This record gives sequence, structure tokens and C-alpha cells, in this order.
Amino acid sequence: MLQPELDRLRTEGDVLVRSCGDVCPTSETEQSEVEEGNPFSFSPRLIHLHKDHELFEDGDIQRHMYLQDLYIFAEDDKPSLSVSEFACHISGCTTVFSTLQEYEHHYNSLHRNVCCSCHRSLPTARLLDIHIQEWHDSLFTILAEKQDMYQCLVEGCGQRFRTSKHRKDHLIKIHKYPQDFKFDKIKTDRREKKRQQHKDTDMEVVDDVCVSEGVCEDMCGVLSDQPEQGESMEMHMTDEDTTGMAANIEDPSLAVHGTTSTSTDPLKPRYSYRVPANICFGQASVRGFRGRRGKRK
Amino acid sequence: MFKIQLNYLSLTKKIMWRLNKVRHKAGRHGDSSEQFRSKRREQENALRQARRDRQLVSKRLLLNDDEEHPEVTMETNSAGQDVVSLFLKLQHSGPEKEADLKALSKALRDPSAQLTFIKQGKSMHLLVGLLTGSNAQCRLQAVQCLHELSHSPHATVAPACLPVTPYLLTYLSGQSTRFTELCLYTLGNLCPDSDVVTEKLLAQGIIPALTSCLENQRHNLALVEAVGFTLSQLLQNRDAAEKIIPTVLASSLPSLLLSVLTPDPQFGLAPAIECAWCLHYLTSRQSAVDGRVLLCHGALLQCSSLLVSIGGVVADGKKEEGMELLICPLLRCVGNLLSSCPVDDLIAQVDDVRLPAALCALLQAYLHTQPALARETAWVLNNLTAPAHSIEFCSALLTLNLVPGLIQLLPFSQGINTMILRVLANIAHKKKEFCVQLIQLGLLSALCATLKMADPEMVTLSLDVLFMLVTSCPQVAEEFVKQGGLSLIEAIQYNSEGEMRRRAAYLLEHKLLS
Repeated sequence: MLQPELDRLRTEGDVLVRSCGDVCPTSETEQSEVEEGNPFSFSPRLIHLHKDHELFEDGDIQRHMYLQDLYIFAEDDKPSLSVSEFACHISGCTTVFSTLQEYEHHYNSLHRNVCCSCHRSLPTARLLDIHIQEWHDSLFTILAEKQDMYQCLVEGCGQRFRTSKHRKDHLIKIHKYPQDFKFDKIKTDRREKKRQQHKDTDMEVVDDVCVSEGVCEDMCGVLSDQPEQGESMEMHMTDEDTTGMAANIEDPSLAVHGTTSTSTDPLKPRYSYRVPANICFGQASVRGFRGRRGKRK
Repeated sequence: MFKIQLNYLSLTKKIMWRLNKVRHKAGRHGDSSEQFRSKRREQENALRQARRDRQLVSKRLLLNDDEEHPEVTMETNSAGQDVVSLFLKLQHSGPEKEADLKALSKALRDPSAQLTFIKQGKSMHLLVGLLTGSNAQCRLQAVQCLHELSHSPHATVAPACLPVTPYLLTYLSGQSTRFTELCLYTLGNLCPDSDVVTEKLLAQGIIPALTSCLENQRHNLALVEAVGFTLSQLLQNRDAAEKIIPTVLASSLPSLLLSVLTPDPQFGLAPAIECAWCLHYLTSRQSAVDGRVLLCHGALLQCSSLLVSIGGVVADGKKEEGMELLICPLLRCVGNLLSSCPVDDLIAQVDDVRLPAALCALLQAYLHTQPALARETAWVLNNLTAPAHSIEFCSALLTLNLVPGLIQLLPFSQGINTMILRVLANIAHKKKEFCVQLIQLGLLSALCATLKMADPEMVTLSLDVLFMLVTSCPQVAEEFVKQGGLSLIEAIQYNSEGEMRRRAAYLLEHKLLS
């Protein structure tokens, strides 16, 4: 029954899958360069489906409706074709979006300029740089004792100040900034913020509110005193990781389960990771991540 | 989208099929009230549940020519009384035998009357007598009665009809169309009710009987449809795999079924539909042996060339009502036969490089109205493009400019996009040159979107495809980064799925940042 030219014959339930050769011509010449641990396992597969397979459900129902004289030809209210949803990749961030735009907005607002030390999200790279400098750079603290180190937040202004208070006054007086500008928190407020963070986690996430909406509101200064949306999560990579994943991973080579796993299936994060504190990424990359233990739509 | 292929495909014969002679009239109910719709939804849900329980079974009711709908017009009580009194009259063999029998068959439309009837002692004995008697009209009416009984929703009724089956089988070689038709549908209705019935029918030689009936009546399309239906009922049996399929495959039924597969423009799609479903059930066992038998009979050749014709019709915008009922089983045959096809035989067996074009036409035509059909079509495309020897088909998808249409299907879920992405991956996998062409057609930017999708399978596949593309040509990595892909891959490194993280990390380390 096995043909000599088949490399693997695998069965699972109603699906018989045959792989069509492991050698990928596309990467043939690079075989010498392909390293150990190349995780890419795609190879074209023939898929045989048993008559009871779930992929065949709708067609079978149609057939039997016809047999029982229940089938309506050229029906008006047809089953709606659904469009795939998008989801934020960052583990723990379970937000789902129906358009790419929403995704982009969410990602760019919440995951781009994130401080890896305190997980605070800043709206721009520049503000992030300033934040890191002022909050997490001990050298800065030392220098600030002797020089004007606190930069004005307005780009192009260039002025520097001895203390953050001075800068704040400058911002208010010269640049007409509000008293409670979100991205210029005085450092001593931090403990208070931590308490607020807790409150954030207690907050019920409303299902149909996109996280990015929250950020928009924040930027417009509508919400009160919440520099962050949701909690920031530190995640730990544990040994549970691999075993947990063994159960969770669906073999990407089996095509057909994809039909039922829609984006409405919640991907519960069963494991977590920690980004080592000493790693900081390039300007355009994620410096950290934030999560929201919210429900997917 | 596929207008370019219109001319190409219209070189094939275009056949107009009509399902107008709806002998089993379907949903032409002018009454599209909300009540009707919700009842239908209920019934549909019941069917779905039955399928999940592996108990999806249907019966067909052959209406008289003067009937439009299978209405039960009589009051249950009076019907019950009618049945008993008619039965008594018939037992005494009066002069109005024929009229009484006709009345009885009408009365037996009602389910409770059916129960009443079989509870009468010797009721079946009576019918057998009339069925085999010398009065042709009575024979016809008797079989009509049996047909009504066979359609009963009550589980006790079919076993009660067992005594008549040897006669019904004998009559399959008879000459009267209407009579034979009724015999066939009655048998078809009785088959799935219980294993006892099925076993008996097999022992009594139902398969040889169906074979010779089909052989002799090949040109009588009403009977072809009836044989097809009955056989499909047999083949759907849970134990069909062990008991029935091998016997059927060994007989001449496969070649007979294939010979009547092309729909007749006058008669309509119905016979072809039944035969196609039989073929589907025959291919569904996970057995390469089965596949080879069918391939030897030219099943793949026949089914795929029929799909090409249909694809041409559909691409011309002349989708006929009900065509999806035929397309579905044909797709499944082709899909499963492709997976049994010996690798070097592929071109010989399919013989038609237009098949990918036809499949794409079907995809586009049915995407919105029948997404499940579109998904099955995508599955067939996968099986067509997967084998190493399918380079011609992959190449055809590119040269016939079908790929942009496929890329545009990537947003759609319910399993459509994962299957389509598989097809594109199959193409990329064949040759570097194909990768280059795919990139020129916009696959890279499409991946930037699919990499953000919620479905983990979609993302993992996208990463696999991306890997193939960047490996094919050094500039691709640069281009991908230019399109803003770098931050996307970096983000994937924080995904909860290990498969994704490993791929993302590898890409960053070896391809994108080096």
C-alpha cells in the first residue's frame, strides 16, 4: 500500500496526509547554510478526507436538504462569508481587531515605545528616550546634580532645565501645556501609579472596546491620571512552557483543523516570558510589552 | 477577475443544464415567510446534529405527477380510520380493488396511518399478494403503498417491510419505468433504517440487481437517478467501508456510474448528482487500493474534465441553479482521487491543464454564496499543487494569471485562507523562479497582513512562506524590511505559540538582520 516515493504517511482521525517530499528545491542550494534547528517544516501535503470529515459538513447538509425537499435554490439570505480577524501577537495581549488599521494603531500605540524597565508606554521614540534617560539612567541622575539635564519635551525647543519641576513650569508657561500632561509625570508619583496600576487590573475590560480606543482617549487627556492602559505584565519563561505547548500546538502541517479554529477561540496564555532586563531593542522595535487580561472579542 | 480565461475555457463544450424538471420538487415555495424559514433552520440544525452523531440519513418521496408538494392533507384521525377500513375492504377482494388501493396509498402518506397499517395483522401479506398479482394497476398501487411506508419517520415501519424486498429486487429487471422507479426509491428508503435491513438486502443481491438495472436502463435517466439514489443510500451506511464498498468496486458499477456522469441538458442535473455522490462515497475510504481501482476506470479523468466544463460555464456567468449540488461531490472525488494518484501518473490522469483555471473560476463564483464550496475547491487546489510532479499545474496558475485572484482570497476565514495559503506555499515550494513571480504578484505585502491574523495556523504558514521567499532571492529580505516587516517579526517573538516564536527568531537571526 505504501508507495516507495512517499516519505511519510500519517493518519489522524479522518484525515490522511501524505507529504510530498522533504527536499525543498527552493532551498536546495542553501542546504549547506541551513543551520541546525531550522524550525521551518513546511512541505506540500496531499490531504485525503473521509466522508465524515468536518470540512464536508456544509456540503453534506446541503445534499440532505435537497434529498428531503428542503433545499432552496438561489436563496437570498446566504451564509455570510467571514473575514479573518487580526490579533496582537504580544503574548498576554489578547486584543482582536477586525481591520488592519485597528491592529496597526493598537500596536503602534501600545507596543512600540515601551520602556523595558518599567513597561510604561510612551507615544514616541523621543519621549521614550527621554524617559529612559531621566528615570533609569543613573549617570543622568549624577550629571543632573551639576548641569541642566532635563530637556524640554517640545521638539525643536532645545532648552534644558535643572529639575523636572522647572521643565514642567516651562512647558506650562511657555508652551501652554496642561498641568497634568500625561507624559511628564514627576518621578515621585511612581508609588501612587503602582497603586493605580492595581486599580487598572481590577477594571473590567469591556468586550467591545478596543484597547486602542483607550489610548486615544488618553492622548486626548480625557481619562484621568492613567499613564498606562491596563497592567503591565512581566512574564516568566518556565519549564511548563514546552510541555504546555505540546498540548497547545496544532501541527501546522495538518491543514484542515483550521476550518474550525476561528479567531473567536480564546488563546489563553498558559505560560509567560520575561524579557531579560539587560536587553533593550532598537528604536523601531518592541522594547517590552504590555498585556491585558481581557477577553477576546 | 478571470475574464482572461473566459475565451480559453469557452473552447470547451458549454453545456446548459437545467434542474427544472424537479421531480422531487425542492424549495420553490412561493411562501418565504419567516415561519417557513425558521422551520427550515430548525430542520437544518437537526441535520447538523445528526451528522455529528454520524446518523445523517434521508429518505426521498417520489410524488405523483399531479402532486406539487408532499402535503399531508387529511386529518390524522380520519386517515387512521380510512386505513383500517380500506385494509378490511381489500382483504375481501372487492370489485373496487384498484380504487381502494389508490385511496390506501394516499392515506399512507400520513405517519400515524403508517403505524396503524403495519399493526394490522397480515397487512404486509396483503401488499405482497397485490404486488405480485396479475393486476398491473394493483401492482403499481401496491408498490406506491410500500413507497409511502418506506418514507415513514417511524423506526418500526421499515423492518415491517422486509418481506417485500426480494420482490422489489426482482422487479428491478422489469420493464415498467414508473414501477421500477418506485421499487428503487422504496429500497433506497429502506436501506439506511437498520443494519438488519441492509444485511438482508446485501444477501438478497441488491448490488448485482442495481448493477444490471443501471446497465440496462442507462438511457432512462429517471431510473438512473433512482439507482444512483439507492446506491448512495447503501454506500452511506456506517459499515459500508468493510461490507459494501469492496463489492461495489469489484462490480461494473464504477464504470457505469462514470458513463452517466455527464448531465443531460434536457433532463437536468439530478441523475448526475446522484451518481457523483456515489462516486464520492467510493473514494472516501482511506485506501489507496480503492483509489487505484477508480483511477483505472478513468474516474479522475472524467470528473476533472466535467469540472473543467462546469468551470467554463460558471466563468461565463451562466451558473445554473442547483449546480452546486453536482459540483460538491465532483470536487470531493477529484480531491480524494488526487491524493491516491500515483505521482508520475498525475498528468495522464488529469490530462487537462485547464483544471486549475476551472477551480479558480469556481472559487470566485461561489465564494460569497457558498463559502463551504469555495473551501472544498481550495482543498482540491491544494491536492492539485502539492505533488512534486504537479509543476505544470503550478505553472499554469502563474501563466494564466490566476494567482492575484488567489491572493485576494487571503482575508477570508472559515478555512479558506489557510487552504489558499497552502496552495501558494505549494507553488513557492516548487521552484525559486516561482517564488520570484509570486513576489512580483504581491505575495510579500499580502504576508504582511496575514502575519497579523488571529488564526495561529495562518501565521505559522505565513512564516513558512516568508522563509521560502526570502531564501529564494537575497533582495527579498530587504524588500520585506522596507515594507515594515521587521517589527512584525520581532513582535511575533513574543507570541505565546512556540512554533511561531522559533520561526520568527530564526528569520531575524539568519535572514532579516544579517
